[in-house]
Amino acid sequence: MDMSLLYTIPHAVPPREAFGLAIAIYFYLTGLSAGSFIISTLAYGFGMEKYKPLGKVGVVLATLLLIAAPMFLLLHSGRPLRAWHLFVYLNGTSPISWGSFLLTLYPINCIIYGFFMFRGNAKLTKIFGLIGIPLAIMVHGYTGFILSFAKAHALWRTSMMPILFLTSAMVSGVAMMILVTIIKDRFFGKERKVNTEVVFGLGKMLLWLLVFDLFLSFSDLSVHYFGEAESMEAARLLLTGTFAPTFIGVETLMGKVVPLVLVANTRTRNVMVYGFAAVLVMVGIFAMRCNVVLGGEFIPLL
Amino acid sequence: MAKTRYGFLIDLRRCIGCRTCQVACKAENDVPLGVYRTWVKEVEKGVYPKVRRHFVPILCNQCEKPACTRVCPVRATYSLPNGIVYIDPHRCIGCRYCMAACPYSVRFIHPERKVAQKCDWCWPRVRDGFGPPACVASCPTRAMVFGDLTDPESEISRILARVPTAVLKPETGNGPMVFYIGLDDEAARLVEAGGEE
Repeated sequence: MDMSLLYTIPHAVPPREAFGLAIAIYFYLTGLSAGSFIISTLAYGFGMEKYKPLGKVGVVLATLLLIAAPMFLLLHSGRPLRAWHLFVYLNGTSPISWGSFLLTLYPINCIIYGFFMFRGNAKLTKIFGLIGIPLAIMVHGYTGFILSFAKAHALWRTSMMPILFLTSAMVSGVAMMILVTIIKDRFFGKERKVNTEVVFGLGKMLLWLLVFDLFLSFSDLSVHYFGEAESMEAARLLLTGTFAPTFIGVETLMGKVVPLVLVANTRTRNVMVYGFAAVLVMVGIFAMRCNVVLGGEFIPLL
Repeated sequence: MAKTRYGFLIDLRRCIGCRTCQVACKAENDVPLGVYRTWVKEVEKGVYPKVRRHFVPILCNQCEKPACTRVCPVRATYSLPNGIVYIDPHRCIGCRYCMAACPYSVRFIHPERKVAQKCDWCWPRVRDGFGPPACVASCPTRAMVFGDLTDPESEISRILARVPTAVLKPETGNGPMVFYIGLDDEAARLVEAGGEE
């Protein structure tokens, strides 16, 4: 063996990235899927007629995104051909084990729900829509538990993770639906005219979700900042360290504060501004997934 | 037969940082290039000319309540009755969740087999009666002791009964089973903010 290789090892732990970018993308896609599914059920499950135009496109997107998302899991796993082990050898204390069933049931339910929606069967659509809501919440909520249960990393081992992930899922989902409405109406609609009622309605939803998301983000970070040694280190990494540009700049300012101002300001209430805010939010939430996943395991443990 | 619970003890006052344990482990377990089942962490203390290096060999703690086995979605990693945390390489799907959960970063993905691997205190070697783990057998200063904690007459039990020891990161609640004599507080924590230097 080459002795120089053996002797030039770092004096601390060799860097070992467990999750990385593939998992961040996976979290982002499941979040978008859960968000768009819930928007889709606003009309077909809860009878909010205003959002009827989003029912079909919502369920199609939810299904497609949730079929694409597990591909990143297979890409990330070392032995993708052994994925069937997940259904044979179960472990009740592992969120990934819960996820293997959620990731199977949720798209199946999406397809059934979509099938009845396209067939025009309002009653069955409603039933499967309402079944889908807890599934959508679980399919994204469990990803928060994945990080919470990985107790080695201070940034992850908080009970904030599931609710933080669910909120950001809704934020990104609503933002995506605003964009989808604009694109759909402008380029594919009969009159080439954007349905402002839907866009502004979603904008209002986005406004309050962003406020809640900022609050959660603040709670999480402030408790880390005043917490025990490793938590403080993690908070400093995000506030002043390597991840500060993406956390403060992209995620918080560009992805949450600026869109919040744009959507809240009634003087600039126009479709293009809302579309721009939605793009910023979608980029910001992607940055959030990267900050949490990559930032969480950035600090060496020993 | 009485129940066996293996334990591991490292006397850091004796450790000279020669990395023989690291090399012996590589040879014994056929560990590929770039990854390590055990390594020697180094910390420099003091200001020149009054400086001193501290060495801390790191290996799997074979925890009492391991975070890794709890999160493995396919139960590919589990505690043996003797306390050693073992990995079934034929069942592991390489999802790396155990790597994310381990507070000691001892797990890695085998570059060729693409499954999780880590130190198992040379369990196959110990089981088959070839003596203690390779690192223990090769340590030139005999800083490492391996033995049965349930046997009060074993060397490790006798030392643990009369010498103060410490473990790494007891606050995780994992119940680590590698005991250190003379563990330096600075060496036990991560090196510096953001892992620099």
